Amino acid sequence: MVTEDRTEATANLMVGIADMAVSHDPNVVLSTYPLGACLGIAIYDPVAKVGGLLHSLLPASSIDPKRAADRPGMFLDTGLAAMICRAQDQGAKVENLRVFVAGGAQIMDEASPFNIGMRNYEVLTELLAKLNVKIYAEDVGGRTNRTMRLSLADGEVRLKFSGQARLIALCKPSTIT
Amino acid sequence: MQAIDDYITNLRHLPPAPRVVPELMRLLNQPDVESSKVVKMISFDPALTANVLRICNSAYFGSASPTSDLQEAVTRLGFQQVYQLVAAATGARMLSPAQIGYGLEQGELWKHSVAAAVAAQIIARKTGDNENIVFTAALLHDIGKIVLSQSLNGVYSKLIKETEMNQLSILEAEKKILGVNHAEVGGQLLERWKFPPNIVSAVWFHHTPKGAGAHQRLASLVYLGNMIAFFMGHGYGHVAFALRGRVEVLTTLGIEAEAIPQFMIETFEQMHLVEALFALGG
Repeated sequence: MVTEDRTEATANLMVGIADMAVSHDPNVVLSTYPLGACLGIAIYDPVAKVGGLLHSLLPASSIDPKRAADRPGMFLDTGLAAMICRAQDQGAKVENLRVFVAGGAQIMDEASPFNIGMRNYEVLTELLAKLNVKIYAEDVGGRTNRTMRLSLADGEVRLKFSGQARLIALCKPSTIT
Repeated sequence: MQAIDDYITNLRHLPPAPRVVPELMRLLNQPDVESSKVVKMISFDPALTANVLRICNSAYFGSASPTSDLQEAVTRLGFQQVYQLVAAATGARMLSPAQIGYGLEQGELWKHSVAAAVAAQIIARKTGDNENIVFTAALLHDIGKIVLSQSLNGVYSKLIKETEMNQLSILEAEKKILGVNHAEVGGQLLERWKFPPNIVSAVWFHHTPKGAGAHQRLASLVYLGNMIAFFMGHGYGHVAFALRGRVEVLTTLGIEAEAIPQFMIETFEQMHLVEALFALGG
């Protein structure tokens, strides 16, 4: 569910779990919360000034194709494809996209089957490799859940960590080459 | 045990004992329970009565004609539904305040607890376990945090350091810093409040289900419900994911690891309804 909270200057659009939003309105800030083992993926084309935010629960739509058809944002494969498609409709170009990734928190035993966050991240990197798109900045793993925000005015992505008060800019380059 | 007792006894703002929930649990476990007994028990608590009526009259239950009669509301909703509403309304009262020591904002412990309860109930439905008992144990699994939060306030930088530098889980860090952990404090608190031994044990061992002995199965359901709440993002506060993986719970419950994503999807869908019902939002 995407809900809008509009003030005079900006409109804050909340992107719910298993959902996405795309916009070219420079007054819009897209936010999603709470990212646990889920992944938040923000895309931004600085030329067209079009961006989107996706909050995916699980890696692959093959887990439940029927639900993926109703709610593509639930899964990374269908969600990413749908978000990029919508961004292209609004003028974005894949080759211009900056991709920001946050979330995928991990419990302590990283080899265990409870490692949903790690699997989400692995699938995302495969999907992006197929699109020939690199991650621009990321903050994944760790032991905390996150809030993620994308400002459409300048493409800045900011994160808030649960238990901490302030927002920080996401500019950490990806570890993937 | 003495140390745990001291923490509970010395607490300044302990909520009043939720008397209705354990009594109602016992009542609903009897065969052929009379609805008048259930109504009488709830009616002793005006806030609970108001909640049951409000929810019965909500759009979710689609009632055509609102009722102000508790007996009528109980009949319409059915015992199971009423029980869960009472448990949830009671939990909301105790678990909603911010727990500063854990970095939990207003409503976050409540939302986490509801997500764990909903997830555990979904798993219990699949495994054929008693849904009401599982729901209650999972709803109250972190009740010990409301006791320890005050003690942790001011030392949480130490808690974070223990988890990050020494690779301790939150539970182990609490024990090292305070001498007790939130799971055993929660179990002891529920014992004081006269909850049945299975609930006490499941809460006490919700991070270490093997230790629950005869109640290992219930503790395993609570453990897994708790994990799913974390995966879904309903695990808040400082280093909330500093948790140990207990893969053996899958064997105890006869569940394949591949079932976890499906439980997550169902929990997500059920949470939508619960959020609408209890206005959990945000």
